[in-house]
Amino acid sequence: MKEKNQEIFSETWKDDFPIQQQEAVHVSRREFAKFLGLLSGTLALGNAGIIIKSILFPSQKLKGEHFVCNQNEVPAGGMKQFELQLDKTIPYILIHLKDGQWRAFEQKCTHLSCAVRYVPEMDKIQCPCHNGYFDARSGVVLQGPPPRPLPRLDVILKDGKVFVAEMKNKT
Amino acid sequence: MSDFRESQNKAHPNKTNTLMTGIILLLIFIISIQIWFLYSALNNALERNLDIAIATFLGSFVLALVSFWLIRYLPDPREGKIKRK
Ligand code: FES
Repeated sequence: MKEKNQEIFSETWKDDFPIQQQEAVHVSRREFAKFLGLLSGTLALGNAGIIIKSILFPSQKLKGEHFVCNQNEVPAGGMKQFELQLDKTIPYILIHLKDGQWRAFEQKCTHLSCAVRYVPEMDKIQCPCHNGYFDARSGVVLQGPPPRPLPRLDVILKDGKVFVAEMKNKT
Repeated sequence: MSDFRESQNKAHPNKTNTLMTGIILLLIFIISIQIWFLYSALNNALERNLDIAIATFLGSFVLALVSFWLIRYLPDPREGKIKRK
């Protein structure tokens, strides 16, 4: 019996081509541990991939000024939806605050991408999906599940026309 | 040839078992941290925050090296039997 054992264990090819089906489906703890090591390497690679992607393919920025609409199309307390055609189409909202200021934010909620809307009665931006609220002036989260403020654009007014541009000083 | 190793193994038959379990638990621990890193890097990619991506990559890379190094110390319960010949 001892002799036989020795013979089996010394022939490593039998690990790869076992005769019994039972041996073929058996995963030893050694193999499992090696697999865990492989997984850990893969996760590190995934992290590297994120860096490479964000260096090589930075998300496209809005260049120059983009015309949205005429100033008189949006009354105070009103909101208008528009889209920007960058590497993908991104919906934005233009808000005319009640005190006459203008703001532009991305319309996708930072929680799960529902469309947000401006509620003039509360002077806040609301996400109806899970009752998230954003400040209508800065886009900062006031309440609810959204993890980040809404991405914001600069609004530029020029002789009755409204333009948007990439934010200059990020605060 | 010295039979020190063999008699050691005979005296502590559970040793391989404990080592194996310990290493596997450590590996699982390392992987959990790496998943956490990857998750936060992905989350920050949405915000275009490169610093966090780099920091988590370094952490994850070091942890991967540690886990490769750990794997070298996996005991093989059959080792004693092969080497005897
Ligand atoms: S999607 Fe906006 S709060 Fe959940």
